[in-house]
Amino acid sequence: MTRRRWGLVALGVAVAGWIIGGEWVSIRQYVPENHLIDALGGLSFLVAGLVALDRRPYNRMGLVMIAYAVVSYFGNWGNLQAAVVPMIGLIGQQLGGPILAQMVLSYPTGRLRTRFERFTIGTIWAFAVGVGVVILLAFDPRADGCTRCAWEPAAFPSRNAVLTALLAGQRAGFFLFLLFLAAVWLRWRRATPAERRDLASLWVAVCIYVLVGLMGAFASPDTTGDPFAYLVWELQSVLQIGVPIVFVWGLLSTRLARSAVGDLVMELGRPLLPGELRACLAGALGDPLLEVLYPREWLDGWVDGGGQPGSLPEAASGPRARTVTVVERDGRPLAALIHDPALDPGLVRAAAAAAGMAIANERLQAEVRAQLEEVRASRQRIVEAGDAERRRVERNLHDGAQQRMATLALELAMLRDRVAGDPEMAASLDQAAAELKQAIAELRELARGIHPAILTEEGLPAAVEALADRSSLPVRVRADFDERLTGPIEAVAYFVVAESLANVTKHARAPGARVGLSRCDGTLRVEVTDDGIGGADASRGSGLRGLQDRVAAVRGSFHVKNLPGGGTGVIAEIPCDA
Amino acid sequence: MRQGCFNASISAVACSVLIVDDHPGFRAQARALLVAAGYEVVGEAADAESGVRMVRDLSPDVVLLDVQLPDSTGFEVVRLIAGEIDPPAVILISSRDASDYGRRIGRSGARGFICKADLSAGTLAAVLERAG
Repeated sequence: MTRRRWGLVALGVAVAGWIIGGEWVSIRQYVPENHLIDALGGLSFLVAGLVALDRRPYNRMGLVMIAYAVVSYFGNWGNLQAAVVPMIGLIGQQLGGPILAQMVLSYPTGRLRTRFERFTIGTIWAFAVGVGVVILLAFDPRADGCTRCAWEPAAFPSRNAVLTALLAGQRAGFFLFLLFLAAVWLRWRRATPAERRDLASLWVAVCIYVLVGLMGAFASPDTTGDPFAYLVWELQSVLQIGVPIVFVWGLLSTRLARSAVGDLVMELGRPLLPGELRACLAGALGDPLLEVLYPREWLDGWVDGGGQPGSLPEAASGPRARTVTVVERDGRPLAALIHDPALDPGLVRAAAAAAGMAIANERLQAEVRAQLEEVRASRQRIVEAGDAERRRVERNLHDGAQQRMATLALELAMLRDRVAGDPEMAASLDQAAAELKQAIAELRELARGIHPAILTEEGLPAAVEALADRSSLPVRVRADFDERLTGPIEAVAYFVVAESLANVTKHARAPGARVGLSRCDGTLRVEVTDDGIGGADASRGSGLRGLQDRVAAVRGSFHVKNLPGGGTGVIAEIPCDA
Repeated sequence: MRQGCFNASISAVACSVLIVDDHPGFRAQARALLVAAGYEVVGEAADAESGVRMVRDLSPDVVLLDVQLPDSTGFEVVRLIAGEIDPPAVILISSRDASDYGRRIGRSGARGFICKADLSAGTLAAVLERAG
């Protein structure tokens, strides 16, 4: 047996002694009540508290239950006619209600969560302590019948003050009970689904107390009086024994969940698909919303099993509240489980320990997926930066060389007019003007190849139409949309068409080509087909491979296929949510 | 609309022109070329804002308007000018080719388009006549 258990045994023996002793005092003082049932009431709280402390060492509920068992026997000890004992007994009696209320409201963790709960319990305690202070200042045991009490403990002895305080406490009790019920109701309303399952025990306890409270109107501990009233009184006591049993049953019912951890171990014996570990843990812990995040290697931040970035939730309350349990290995975080705060922390740790190897594996996989995602994103950024650079170069050509050459052409034209009388000079200038015109056309073509201005100005369908117009082959364009897409998507789609049409012209020996542009379900489909000789292969031509890379960079797919009746089809499908 | 100017342009009767282009070298050459051909260049503007203002102040018959301006596009300027009472004929000019702007030139409301390198009294007169 561990030291801890010995400690619990010692505590149990001491408190049991206190209870039985209190009962003995009641018997000796001829207090009219069923001592067996009364003792069982206290002992049930003690045993339930000890069991809870043993099974759930980190849960305060056990301590609260034992505290109630101790406090509820102050009254019995108060019957002892000696010194200040009756006064302490009377004060102790006041504390039972607050402890009980706190026990119910802090179930199952032993902690109060909301401001209203703390206010409710604080108010109940304030009244009890207030009455206690009046007793401390004014209670005179001798005036209350303690003939053997030789010592006078009260500073301002006043039997009236004590009676008034007790009566006020009793009347306030009714309103405090309503406040308490409101707190319980709010607790239920804000509870998460998993919490509501656990709160069933709380409702049983509350029902018992409401019943006991109602029965109080008819109950009497006087064995010599109305037998019905006495029977009701006994029934009240019996019912109260049920409360700690219900509570401890509720606390330990998570024990059943622990067997699910065993199933989890069995389940994790097979290879898991991405995301399956999360589902297994969620099933074992009974929290369908459970999430598992993994810390990045050498980087700040967290990712889920799929490598997608995630973040740990902020502290919150209410049905959406989540708690984070960080699983560590060798002092370093291995994973974070984001779960319902109502879950037993011990159970969460047990499940995490059982799934340790699977968690470590999935963390590595998540890291690889996150890195892959980063590589994809960086490839996209590189392509986008390349497109931006092409746009910049085209713009610079337009603003610089093309402008100067246009100005030069005008100057030559002016000179040509002035030397109309000199045929030789005129011929030279005509030759220069023709060369310049050719250079301007070539530069314009070069600029267009770098990045067509019409794509920036008018968008994809117009740019493809212009491409078709300039093609040496007859090209039919069919576009089922007119709106703009994002710059990188338009650029990739444009270059797919441009490169494919160039291939058709150069290699396909086709009489014509068709270009189809369509959008469906957030995907842009670009299709270039011809009636040529076919035989295109994306894995051989560097142009097609380059297109494949560009399309992949924007997460699209690219296929080249030989059509059944001859000819080639180039199909690119690019996600375009914009 | 100043029909007289377009009919007269062939016979080079004074037809007032405003040049809107952000390249001073090109503006100077275009001015010299047009003046030599008998046009009256009433002003030059280097951006869209001053171009629109000068159209209002000078009421030219023709505006030679660069498509790419530092503060706006020629298309936008055409739209603004079209709102004026008795608007001038706007000829868009660019060092790019007309096909680089697709159908936008046709939709813009401009009288026509001339590549900067092809600008001459003859091309201007041809565009004005064709459009007129």
